[in-house]
Amino acid sequence: MTPLLEVQAVTRRFGGLVALEAVHMQVASGTVHGLIGPNGAGKTTFLNVIAGAFPPSGGRLLLEGRDITSLAGAERARLGIRRTFQNLKLFAEMTALENAAIGLHTDSRAGVLAALFRPPGQRREERAIMARAAEALEFVGLAAHAQHVAGTLAYGHRRLLEIARAIAPRPKLLLLDEPAAGLNPTEAASLTGLIARIRDAGTTVILVEHHMDVVMRVCDRITVLNHGRHLATGTPAEIQADASVVEAYLGQDALAEALAC
Amino acid sequence: MNMTALLEVTVGGVAVGCVYSLLALGYSMIIRASGIIHFAQGEVMMLGSMCGLSALWVAPSLHPALVLLVGMLAGGALAGAMELLVYRTLRRRGVPLVSIITATVGFSIFLMNAARLGWGSEPLRYPDMFRGAVEVSGIRISPQLLWVAASGFVIMVALQIFLSKTRPGLAMQAVAQDPDAAQLMGVNLSRSMAATFAVAGAMAGAAGVMLGSLFFSFFEMGFITGLKAFVAATLGGLGSIGGAMLGGILFGLIETFGAVFISSAYKDAIGMMLLIAILLVLPQGLAGLWRRLR
Amino acid sequence: MIRVAPALAFLALALLPFVLPDPFLLHLMTSVAIAAILALGLQFLLGISGQLSLGQAAFYGVGAYGSALMTGAGVPFLVAVPLAAMAAGASSLILIPVTRLRGPYLAVATLGFSIAAYLVIKNEEWLTGGSLGLMGISRPTLFGLRLRDPAHVYWLCAGLAALVWLGLCRLADSRFGRAAHAIRQDEDAARASGLRVTLIKTQCFVVSAVISGLAGALFAHHIRYLGPADFSFWKSVEVLIMVVIGGVGSAAGAVLGAAVVVLLPEWLRLIGDYRLLVFGATVVVLMLFGSGGLAGLWGAIRRPRGAAP
Repeated sequence: MTPLLEVQAVTRRFGGLVALEAVHMQVASGTVHGLIGPNGAGKTTFLNVIAGAFPPSGGRLLLEGRDITSLAGAERARLGIRRTFQNLKLFAEMTALENAAIGLHTDSRAGVLAALFRPPGQRREERAIMARAAEALEFVGLAAHAQHVAGTLAYGHRRLLEIARAIAPRPKLLLLDEPAAGLNPTEAASLTGLIARIRDAGTTVILVEHHMDVVMRVCDRITVLNHGRHLATGTPAEIQADASVVEAYLGQDALAEALAC
Repeated sequence: MNMTALLEVTVGGVAVGCVYSLLALGYSMIIRASGIIHFAQGEVMMLGSMCGLSALWVAPSLHPALVLLVGMLAGGALAGAMELLVYRTLRRRGVPLVSIITATVGFSIFLMNAARLGWGSEPLRYPDMFRGAVEVSGIRISPQLLWVAASGFVIMVALQIFLSKTRPGLAMQAVAQDPDAAQLMGVNLSRSMAATFAVAGAMAGAAGVMLGSLFFSFFEMGFITGLKAFVAATLGGLGSIGGAMLGGILFGLIETFGAVFISSAYKDAIGMMLLIAILLVLPQGLAGLWRRLR
Repeated sequence: MIRVAPALAFLALALLPFVLPDPFLLHLMTSVAIAAILALGLQFLLGISGQLSLGQAAFYGVGAYGSALMTGAGVPFLVAVPLAAMAAGASSLILIPVTRLRGPYLAVATLGFSIAAYLVIKNEEWLTGGSLGLMGISRPTLFGLRLRDPAHVYWLCAGLAALVWLGLCRLADSRFGRAAHAIRQDEDAARASGLRVTLIKTQCFVVSAVISGLAGALFAHHIRYLGPADFSFWKSVEVLIMVVIGGVGSAAGAVLGAAVVVLLPEWLRLIGDYRLLVFGATVVVLMLFGSGGLAGLWGAIRRPRGAAP
């Protein structure tokens, strides 16, 4: 079966620095695929290359067998690759509901003229967008905050709102960039459950995360990067038992401990 | 076109370019330190020009360097006062940048009309500070042009030394690059910001005296000149000191040559179209190109 | 979305010619209505999509000269005005490559465009009459009826201003407006949601240019004389002042700002040479009210949905 996403020998250089070197990865449909590695391993760069924030210096990306290497970020989003950002990028002046509605922009059509003359089709579409946006908020547990302005939400809620915006159109692939960063243990635990529910609803997930208990509990497979290279891929149990992975984390004591648990 | 005319156009272009450079420096320093496009910069220049002229009226035999100094003091005091009295308050209130920029436009209108009340609405000629002509290998050049170009260079070199060698200059640089770190290092932010505006104003004041001595002083002289200098600063790369100097001189040359060789009616448009083209190819201006080449 | 306070204000303005049938006042109020349309055009661009344009005078000029030349060639007023507005929209397409630029760079590029347009108006005598300008432009004519009464011209312009306001509120409160507003706040996040940023920014530019062109066309038939001075860079600056003193992001603010910018110098005529001095100082002082501008003070008038808080 064709993997949902296939990454072939992707390289990314910044000036003279090599951030990623010939990285391979296959993400099977319907899984949660973890992406871990010590600090500076190139995880976020990798995620950015998959999302299309910048093009790879070499290599290919295939989505369901289709080459998407040359597509810009917005076009990939239209094909069903959505993401969240490590340092939260919400539309701070808009309500939670409107934020989620932006996620549905590509699923709707009304343009300038429709907005001016408001034909029945435009009104129907607008109602449908808002209903689906509300559903997405409900799914992540933010239904009560639909009319609150995003910038005023609590930190944990803002993280969830980013996820709601990304999953509102039921994307094929969701890229989560450290969604548990800054969350307390209770919130992190419920995030684990949310990620599993997103997968069960039919969206494949790539998860970059430092919280090892979140990664180990929810991921079906894990890829480890180190210094921009592919180090290992396997099930959580295989990764925990992998000597090279443990070695890569040596010196980063806290993470090594986390990995051991 | 023969060599004599070519040389004259070149010297003229460089002289006008020096005026743009000095003004552009002010724009660049201010935008780098505060993010403000200081639209009143042209009016600061105009008032510098008027004050220099008034000094000459009072003391007709005043040395040109002192006239320049009067213009610089007037411009520096004016821009420093604007920062201390208005822009600082606006920043403290957390007013959005576009409002502060609109306030600079308000200042521009205010100063222009203040000058019209003070100095009248007729263009005023500077008395000739130099007589005769300088001959360079048989080619006669107006001493006025040479004086403008030379003082422009001297002031720019002095500014470079001020910014890179003296304590207040270094503090200004530090604030522009990283205000938080500069504050931790003990730099007084608001004093440094006021100094930035004052130095930028002094540059504009000098430009005003130079431009006035080339043509005339006029209450409306600042606006379009200021805009062109802003374009020059953009050409050089907004926020870059070296870029502003180079951008100004380049803009002066392009404009002067464009007026002679292409069309004098579209003189202003040539610069603007060039600007748009450059922004599209080099969004960071010449300074960006320089960084990329390195 | 019409709320009570603006509706009452609108009613009062509609009845104005009956209450104060002074031709000069009506002439001024027509100018306010035209300036309001122009300001609403920039308000949409700046307040919703966050793009600072200093080139509005160019679109205003295309609309004004376009409509004047077309009616001069025998095209009926009712056809010429929309065509001129569309021509202004089309002229903004030249700026597509520029929409990639941000903040001061966008401002300076549009400024360059404005200055170039001014020079075309001033120098291309065969088309625009150059510095002498165009004279004897026809009065607004609706279905063969020439509007001679200042009250009628006022109603026409004020009515169109109201329509533009309504249209912009609808645009702001729609899928398109949401997208433009999202781009203003975070372009990266907008791209990640599949928004075609350049396309949407360009659409905002075109909408804004069409509105400015409409204002220009009305101006041509209201004043009935066009010269380059009305389309200089100052006009672009004036529009920015209207929007900012009114309050960025607020349609009501744009209209109030337009009224202040048109009327204040008129009232200040009493103080003669000091009037622009006072006007400049007023602009500086008004900035101290912050982003809310006049609209922020005018608590009764709410902003359109999707506008800045």
